[in-house]
Amino acid sequence: MEEDEFIGEKTFQRHCAEFIKHSQQIGDSWEWRPSKDCSDGYMCKIHFQIKNGSVMSHLGASTHGQTCLPMEEAFELPLDDCEVIETAAASEVIKYEYHVLYSCSYQVPVLYFRASFLDGRPLTLKDIWEGVHECYKTRLLQGPWDTITQQEHPILGQPFFVLHPCKTNEFMTPVLKNSQKINKNVNYITSWLSIVGPVVGLNLPLSYAKATSQDERNVD
Amino acid sequence: MASATGDPGLSKLQFAPFSSALDVGFWHELTQKKLNEYRLDEAPKDIKGYYYNGDSAGLPARLTLEFSAFDMSAPTPARCCPAVGTLYNTNTLESFKTADKKLLLEQAANEIWESIKSGAALENPVLLNKFLLLTFADLKKYHFYYWFCYPALCLPESLPLIQGPVGLDQRFSLKQIEALECAYDNLCQTEGVTALPYFLIKYDENMVLVSLLKHYSDFFQGQRTKITIGVYDPCNLAQYPGWPLRNFLVLAAHRWSSSFQSVEVLCFRDRTMQGARDVAHSIIFEVKLPEMAFSPDCPKAVGWEKNQKGGMGPRMVNLSECMDPKRLAESSVDLNLKLMCWRLVPTLDLEKVVSVKCLLLGAGTLGCNVARTLMGWGVRHITFVDNAKISYSNPVRQPLYEFEDCLGGGKPKALAAADRLQKIFPGVNAKGFNMSIPMPGHPVNFSSVTLEQARRDVEQLEQLIESHDVIFLLMDTRESRWLPAVIAASKRKLVINAALGFDTFVVMRHGLKKPKQQGAGDLCPNHLVASADLLGSSLFANIPGYKLGCYFCNDVVAPGDSTRDRTLDQQCTVSRPGLAMIAGALAVELMVSVLQHPEGGYAIASSSDDRMNEPPTSLGLVPHQIRGFLSRFDNVLPVSLAFDKCTACSSKVLDQYEREGFNFLAKVFNSSHSFLEDLTGLTLLHQETQAAEIWDMSDDETI
Repeated sequence: MEEDEFIGEKTFQRHCAEFIKHSQQIGDSWEWRPSKDCSDGYMCKIHFQIKNGSVMSHLGASTHGQTCLPMEEAFELPLDDCEVIETAAASEVIKYEYHVLYSCSYQVPVLYFRASFLDGRPLTLKDIWEGVHECYKTRLLQGPWDTITQQEHPILGQPFFVLHPCKTNEFMTPVLKNSQKINKNVNYITSWLSIVGPVVGLNLPLSYAKATSQDERNVD
Repeated sequence: MASATGDPGLSKLQFAPFSSALDVGFWHELTQKKLNEYRLDEAPKDIKGYYYNGDSAGLPARLTLEFSAFDMSAPTPARCCPAVGTLYNTNTLESFKTADKKLLLEQAANEIWESIKSGAALENPVLLNKFLLLTFADLKKYHFYYWFCYPALCLPESLPLIQGPVGLDQRFSLKQIEALECAYDNLCQTEGVTALPYFLIKYDENMVLVSLLKHYSDFFQGQRTKITIGVYDPCNLAQYPGWPLRNFLVLAAHRWSSSFQSVEVLCFRDRTMQGARDVAHSIIFEVKLPEMAFSPDCPKAVGWEKNQKGGMGPRMVNLSECMDPKRLAESSVDLNLKLMCWRLVPTLDLEKVVSVKCLLLGAGTLGCNVARTLMGWGVRHITFVDNAKISYSNPVRQPLYEFEDCLGGGKPKALAAADRLQKIFPGVNAKGFNMSIPMPGHPVNFSSVTLEQARRDVEQLEQLIESHDVIFLLMDTRESRWLPAVIAASKRKLVINAALGFDTFVVMRHGLKKPKQQGAGDLCPNHLVASADLLGSSLFANIPGYKLGCYFCNDVVAPGDSTRDRTLDQQCTVSRPGLAMIAGALAVELMVSVLQHPEGGYAIASSSDDRMNEPPTSLGLVPHQIRGFLSRFDNVLPVSLAFDKCTACSSKVLDQYEREGFNFLAKVFNSSHSFLEDLTGLTLLHQETQAAEIWDMSDDETI
């Protein structure tokens, strides 16, 4: 039986820092946000996407959240012929937020996520799934990480969806053991995010994996 | 790439407006501020936002406000430019509507204008990035009304384009682009920022220089007719610059039109994708600088954001889904249950469970525990019936009550239980009925008043049973189960019965009689029960649901386990404290398993022998009874047939009840045991009612 691979909070933060370093190099938008007292924090990324057709049809129900008031203004505005009239419709833009926090009880990283329109209206979990690539949907039903719950963000106190960390160790242990066997240096965050991320629409460029092995060469 | 020549649409410069982007965190923080800090204060508040210019194509330029918007010292995110705003949060929708938007815009425009005239904007160009936000937060409904304004001063005439917008790569060589990146980065670094909203540029074939606005006089020395300015441009459109340029151009016209005829504008767009930096999609164009030696009065201004329909009006967003705690509780409960489907039991039909209407007769130890387990399953409709009040001994064993509930004589259990459920989970539809259930051998004919009361109680109970799907018998006396058992059998409702001994319990489903419309006798063409008949039922195996016994049948058919268990129902209600939780939980789980079976209450009863067989439902077995023995920590699953002389569910009793209704019931209540005994031919009744006398002393009664 293999030994379990947990990760301490210090190691977690170090791996995050490494990960963010590469993110900055390639213009991926991961960044570290400290908590108010700076004792801990989380790694986060915001990603915008134009809503595609398939998502749109389903969103019919939830767009009720946003309405225009029946109060077209009576006050007279100066005529402005300098404004571009047709720009991209803002309501079609979806904001995805991914937060990586450390779970002290499970001793593994945890992925928090949510998606919303530009006015803050959240997408339901069902809506988010519509946006997940077809090839991951089957994995979502079978995989070991399909443990989505709704929880308060421990630092922000706002409701987020969470990939529950109860199975993380189970699927990460073989990954890490294997890379140890072939004597390859892996970043826990990179390996873990590349497994769980796609399930919720978060794709990781391959260069993260290359970056880790390059760092290792530099060390050698 | 865009080209200016021959396109008349481009002869006049137009600007792409911002889209407001409000993070849900902003609304959370506004809610907190309103509740804890602002309260009824309507005074304007300073807030801040930011914009970004590294988007991929197709995304609109956004002015973003996050939860950090209220913290003026919060750092601006990397590679973003700050914008300073004023929040006008009104106390009522009416004052939101009647707020003088024109005046607010003019005030803001004037501040911008003053900063241009005084030169403050040259020192601190962020002063040009002003915005207003008018809000009304309806915190009862979590509806937020808002209207953004990005004040833009208007030049007296529209700007004639000398050279229309083209991509930077069409104007600059690769070398120049690299030099621009380098110069911009160096200036950012010197200034200790990651983005510069406005800057000045000087270039020739070999070099590019970048400078802050405040150094313009030195920087522009030697320039003849044309100057070049740079703007950090959040817009992605190839044809148009974004909104921030507007106030910058007014500044340029005011400051420099006397010295220069035209201004070349570089809309700097800087993105990095997959590791490759790209500024080549920046656009560059040249406009004629207007004569701005005009009056010192503030030029007219525009900037209120259009709503989604493109009209001049505010917007409203309903965030109850993610902010209303009640909605959050509901969605979390549902999500937790759905997880069970997604992960463990994909064929689980949750809807059947969640939508079931449960009537709990008895709100004591069993009732409380059954209700809690039902809540766990997401059952939304729960009704209690009990006539007792909460006594001091109850709260420690009955988890829906607290010490306070016992004071002043005690609250009625049924009502208190329903209230507590609502407190535990506001999404539940819980009701309580403080009423007695008439019992055999407990006469109701002392007066016309008592008789009428009994009639009303029976009617009430009949209605309640009719309007629910599953009836739980959870009382602490045996004979009080008789009336609901008869009514539920007659109405063909699923009955789940739980009863406790000291360290033993029975949890069972009553046999569900065949549907009435299927005709008399045993000629039953119903497909629901046909399969069981085909298999052939014996005394011990494959007994279909309609042949199963009820609580009163089984009382005469001794349980088959051991003689130790015989006295189960004849013991008083003092039981080991864990027993009610076990039995209450099993009662609900039995209901859920029955509901998951395609034949529901007609499902063949699983017995202990079926434990090794393929289970009939995704959740496993569907037993008739679970008899538990805490002393041995053991459960058995006996199955027993309906008894044709049963005092509750035999056809003789049901026929009489259905024919005579209350008159028949009254006879049962008022008579000695011999009435039912005579009716069913039972001789055991005498023996039973002796036991019932013991039952009269429940733990709540003081005689």
